[in-house]
This record gives sequence, C-alpha cells and structure tokens, in this order.
Amino acid sequence: MPALLFGLTVIAELAAIPLVWGLEPHYDTVMYAIYAVVLAGAGALIARRSVIGWLFLGFALLNAVASDLGQGWALRGLPGAPVVEWIGAISWLPSGFGWILTFVLFPDGRAGRWRPVLWVGSGGLVLATAGWAFSPALGVNFHDGHNPMVVEWLPTGPLLAVGMTLFLGALAASVVSLVLRFRQADGERRQQLKWFVFAAAIAGVGLPLSFALWFVTPAAGVIAAVSLIGLPVAAALAILRYRLFDVDVVISRTISYGLLTVLLVAAYAVTVVVLGTAFGRGSSWVTAAATLVAALAFRPLREKVQDVVDRRFNRARHDALHRMADFLEALRAGRAAPEEVRGVLREVLADPELELLVYLPESHEHVDLDGRTVAGTGSRVVVERDGQPLGTVVHSSPRAALVREVVEAGGLAIEIARLRVELRRQLAEVRASRARIVAAGDAERGRIQRDLHDGAQQRLVAIGLALRHAQHELTTDRPDRAGQTIDDAVAEVAVAIQELRALAQGIHLEGGLRPAFDDLASRTPLHVEVRAPAERYAESVEAAAYFVGCEALTNAVKHAQATTVGLTVARQNGTLVVTVTDDGIGGAAPSRGSGLTGLADRVAALGGTLRVDSVPGAGTTIIAEVPCES
Amino acid sequence: MRVVIVEDQVLLREGLARLFADGGHEVVETLGDAGELLSAVSAFGPDLVVLDIRMPPTFTDEGARAACSLKRTHPALGVLVLSQHVETTHVAGLITVGGFGYLLKDRVLDVADFLAAADRVARGGSALDPQVVARLLGSHGPLATLSERERTVLEHMAQGLTNTGIAKRLQLSERTVEAHVRHLLMKLDLPSDEDGHRRVLAVLALLNATR
Repeated sequence: MPALLFGLTVIAELAAIPLVWGLEPHYDTVMYAIYAVVLAGAGALIARRSVIGWLFLGFALLNAVASDLGQGWALRGLPGAPVVEWIGAISWLPSGFGWILTFVLFPDGRAGRWRPVLWVGSGGLVLATAGWAFSPALGVNFHDGHNPMVVEWLPTGPLLAVGMTLFLGALAASVVSLVLRFRQADGERRQQLKWFVFAAAIAGVGLPLSFALWFVTPAAGVIAAVSLIGLPVAAALAILRYRLFDVDVVISRTISYGLLTVLLVAAYAVTVVVLGTAFGRGSSWVTAAATLVAALAFRPLREKVQDVVDRRFNRARHDALHRMADFLEALRAGRAAPEEVRGVLREVLADPELELLVYLPESHEHVDLDGRTVAGTGSRVVVERDGQPLGTVVHSSPRAALVREVVEAGGLAIEIARLRVELRRQLAEVRASRARIVAAGDAERGRIQRDLHDGAQQRLVAIGLALRHAQHELTTDRPDRAGQTIDDAVAEVAVAIQELRALAQGIHLEGGLRPAFDDLASRTPLHVEVRAPAERYAESVEAAAYFVGCEALTNAVKHAQATTVGLTVARQNGTLVVTVTDDGIGGAAPSRGSGLTGLADRVAALGGTLRVDSVPGAGTTIIAEVPCES
Repeated sequence: MRVVIVEDQVLLREGLARLFADGGHEVVETLGDAGELLSAVSAFGPDLVVLDIRMPPTFTDEGARAACSLKRTHPALGVLVLSQHVETTHVAGLITVGGFGYLLKDRVLDVADFLAAADRVARGGSALDPQVVARLLGSHGPLATLSERERTVLEHMAQGLTNTGIAKRLQLSERTVEAHVRHLLMKLDLPSDEDGHRRVLAVLALLNATR
C-alpha cells in the first residue's frame, strides 16, 4: 500500500511536469515535483513504523494530484479546467493542516494533551476553506479571472478571517508543542524529536531567508528547497536511523560550518579591504593574499569554532572529549592507570553498564580488563589501531557516533590496557605451568619413592627372610632343602636388579632413546613399532622425549583401546620430533587429561610444542617437537 | 603363640609365615588384605595379628585402620603393624595402647629381636621401632633435661624393652639401668613405682602428648 501511494504520486508528478513545463518558472515545476516525491518517499519508508508515514503519503498525493497535476490541467485548459483549478486553488489549506498534524503527532502518532490543537486546527481548516473556496475574491487566482464556485450569501470575509486565525494559531501551537515535547523528552525519543526540531529550525530560518533573498541570488531557491525537503527527510531519519547518525553531530557540524563560512568570508573581505586601501583595488596580489589568509585561518578556526559550538549545542561531545583528553594527560603523567579508561568511558557516555572487551590475538578471545570472558549485551563498537583490532566496546548509549568518537580518542589507553591484560594472562599461564611442573616433579618423586618401597625394598626384605629361613634349615634337621631356598632367593635378587634398572631408566636414560624405547615397548602389552635414531641428545631433551613416549603409551594402553602403536623419533631442522600414533578410539583432549597437560608443560619448558590430533574413532596422534640444537 | 598374618605381597607373606613357623609358633591364617581379618580373628582366636600398614585397595593406611578397629573389638589381642617406612600419623592413637607394636619391615631380618618384640606385643606389652621412638622423642620439652645416657635408656624403654632387656642391649648392669630409669622418671615427673609395660605406656603417653 505505501508503495502504491508512492507510485501514484510519482506518476502524477511525471504527468504534471510536461503539462506545466514552460507555463511557470522551471524552478517551480522541478521544485514542487521533488518536494512531493521526497515527501511520498519518506512516507513510504516510515509508514510501517509510524502514522506520520501515512500522513506524508496522503498529503504528497494530494499535492501531486490537486496542486501540481491540477494546475497543469487547468493551465492547458483541458475539460473541466475551472473545477480542477478551483480544487488546486484551495488544496494548500489541507496541505498546511498536514503539517499541523505532523508536528503534533510526531513521532509516534499520539497527540496526548495537545489534542485540542488538532480540534482548533480542524475547525480553522473548515472555516477558512469555506471562506476561501466560495469567495469571489478568490477569482484573482484563476486565469479567466473569476471563481466558478462563488456562494453569494456566505459571509466569506469573516469566515476566512476567523478560520485563518484559528488555523494559524493551531499551526503556531503545533510548533510550540513540538519544541516543548522535545525539551521534556529524554533518551531515544529526545534524539528522534531533535532531528525533527532541527529540520523545523532550518525551515524556520531558511524559508524567510529565501524569501528575503529571492530576487538577490538564485541560491535563495536552493535554500527554500533544502528547507522544505529537510522536514520529511529529517522525519524519516528520526524514525528509521536515529541510532545510526548522531543528530547532535549533524547539528553541531551544520552550525559550525555555517559559522565558519561566515567567518572565512569576513576574513577574506577584511583582508581585501585592508590590503586594497594599501595597494590599490583589484590587484591580483590582494586577492591571492586574502585567499591565503582564509586558507590559513581554516584549520585553527574550524577547531575553535567546533569547540565553541560543541560547548553550546553538543555539550555531551564537548565534555566527553575534554574528559578523555584530561584522562590521557593523567595517564601520560602516570597519575592514572590505563584500566581506568573503562570508568571514563562509562562516565562520559553515561552508561554504567558499558563494557570494554579487549582482543587477545593469541587465543582469538575477547575478555574484559580482568581477563574474564564475558558476553556483554548491547551495541558494539570495534576499536582499531592501524587496522589491527584492539577490542570492542559494548554499550547501550543511543549516541553511536559519539561513542565511536570518544572510543577513538581513548585508543591509546585501550591499547595499553589490552597489552597489560595480555601480559597478565601470559604471566598467569607461566605461573600455572611452573606450578604444574613443580607438582609433576613432586608426583614423579613420590612415584619413584613408592616404586622403591613397594618393589625393590619389599623384595629385599623377602630375600632376607628367605636367607634366614635357609639358615634355619641348615641348623635344623633338613639341611638338604637350604640349597633350593637359596636358589629361590638368588632368583629374587635377579628380579630386584631388573626392577631397579627399570626404575633408573625412568630417571636417567643410560643408552639413549632407542634402547630405552625398545625396553619400554617390550614391557608394554601392545604391539609397539619403535623407530628411533641411535644418536644421543641433551639429557633434558632425551628425558622429555622419553616422558612423552611413556605417557603417550600409557594413554594408549589405558584409554585408547588401541592394538598397535607407532613410536617414531626423528630429527628435523634442529628439532627432535616424537610422534606417537595409535589405532584406538581417539577423542583425547589436553584439557581433560591431566597427563596430556603435564606433557605439554614438560615440552613447553624446553621451548617445544605439543600437538594432539585425536578425532573420535580415528585414533590418536601425539606430536611433540623439542628444540635439540645446542 | 597363634599368629594371623595379613600382607598383600605373597613373597613377604610366605617369608613371615616361615619365620614364625621356624621360631616354633603356629601360623593359623594368612590373608592378602584386611577384608576377612575380623572373621578370621573371631574364628581362630589368635594371640597376635601381624599386618602390613599399606594394603589393597588404596595402599594408604588400610592396615592402620584395621589395627584400630581390632584393638577396639579385641583389646587383649596383640597387634603388630609392619611398615615400609615410618609414618606415625596413622598410628598416633595406638602408640599408648598396650598390646600394640609398630615396626619397620627390615626389622624382621633380625629374627631373634623381631620374635621377642612379637612375643612382647602378644603378651600386652609394646614394641615401637627405634625410628618411631626417635621421631617421638624429638628434642624438645622435658626431654631436654635428660643426660645422654638417660635418653638412650628412655629410647629403649619406649621401644618396649624391660630393664633386663635394656641392660643386655646396652652392656650395663641391671642396677645401673635401674638407677638411670629412676632418675629419668623423676625428671619427667612420672610415677616410678610402676613396673613392666605400664611404665612404658606412661613414658609413651608423655612423649605423644608433648609431640
């Protein structure tokens, strides 16, 4: 439906343009057409959100058909021309009432306590229309000089006077209502109303200005056009996009560039006058000097003007940027910590829930300044520096542009805060890893102690007991059995030696990795294929490699349900690569198995890396790379 | 005497059984863990239970806990706990109870001393390993006032030896030992008229309390 109304408006204007072309100033033709189309377009865009859209659509079509198309029809003298001309001559009254409705109902279609304004306006509309439409005085507007609809008995003069008074009063009241509602509103509604008030203010300044300059400069027409078209455009922006474009920035920019233009023109003029009296008028040197002055004054003047205008019209931006600048100054002087930037942002944007998340490139994570992963809700502004993402500001401020500006201004502090978070993270990781290495060392010592107590030591006690028994046998009636008892004891001694050797292997690899892994394979209840060089490496490297092999094999036996394990040691470009592959169930993860975490720590302590590929159902491959170049 | 042996390692269990058998004692039951211990004690009514402190399933203090419950249900029964190394925490509550012993496993190789200690425990006396005693004695409190010799005598008393035993061990006359004992009991403010293992328990109670 909105699209249909918009289409009809466009068609009406397209039909009207050739009809009136050349019969009135070209400027008027184009201007009216653009105005109607823009009004209808804005209406079509916002009709779904606001009743204002339907108002725009309706009055745009009325303008297009009754005024523009009707005027063409009448000017061409087509059939029924007088009636059509009569309708066109009175259509400006309902069009004006359209603006009363718009001002009162903007932005959500509720009139509230301003409803009487609409009643007064409607009354004025009816009376004024009657007094205007049926008056003989209206004849001057017709090209044949008389009104075809004159009603003699109607007191049209008084009717028009009373009606217009009411009508203009209602129009004034509607503007007042708009301004008052704007002043009382806050939050989103305020931003919406601000757009519209801004456009209305431009129209309020622009339309009288254009009338004043109408015969002075052709620019007056442009000013009028911008003033008129500004209203529907501002209304559409206010309803659709008030978050996207910050109205305060637009307002302050408009005002500051307007002021800047005036000041630069003045500077140019003063220079021309002053230098002209000295060097004579019309000198090209004077023009050049004046241009130079204006050009040089542009930058400092722009900053100064912007600051002054901000202070008055965009106080929030002015205060926010100054507060941020003060903070950065304090940061440089060492009086503030970079982490305080979040507090400053919360303060200047009046958003206590605002969250600053910094980006950690190593783990691709966003964390808050305490290093915690948080999921903030709200709009997001990405902070960048030289194209690198530094973090994200999550906020619920309605002024996105201001947020972006303030965040950009505080980029340095955010970058330092990010680096500090990163540093703390890494430090914590190193500390945790160090603690785990110490714990692993303790656990290893405990294991060796237990192995000694429960293995060799018990066996030696048992051997001692056996020898005591043999001694007893020798001194009693069965000396023949002592030989057998001693043989058993000696066999136990051999086992004890074996156990001690295996234990020592875990502490120190006597013959290098190959015999150690061969020995390990022979003691593992799985088929293990060992491929290892006979070459020797630094003791710590060999120990870590052996540890990786042991743990990976233990995992394969305990958890993987594997049948075959490949254990390969190879040297590649100064790195010792230990690869353990099994054909088990997979699904191992370093985070779950503390054994794998311990492995990673052990390897990392030597500057190496550990990779675990363990897709469920596809076996597990553990690859440890340890630098072995001395 | 009638002995029940609880030890999870087969070699040691058999060795201990042979040791007691060689010494002329009757081993009425050997067990691999403490699970069946109470029913075995009820069934056989032994004079002594020898048990390993660490056994399945957790290999921490099963033996100590079994010893505690045995001493509660059968106060007169002798309980001798064997351990691979000294860890007094698990048996602290039992040290001052009569008919309890706590020895390192290596002590079994000194067959005569070991069997004497086992015999003492079975009769309601005590037998603490010198290492356990050393740990109890430490170097604090009232013990600081003792002379070197008195300290040595106290250590042997704490292990559960009688005056005669101490005299034999230290190559002293019994009268000398008696004099040392009288002096040190006085210094520690303990009653000197007690005799036998009750005297030992008083010493142990003091040590355990000041530990």
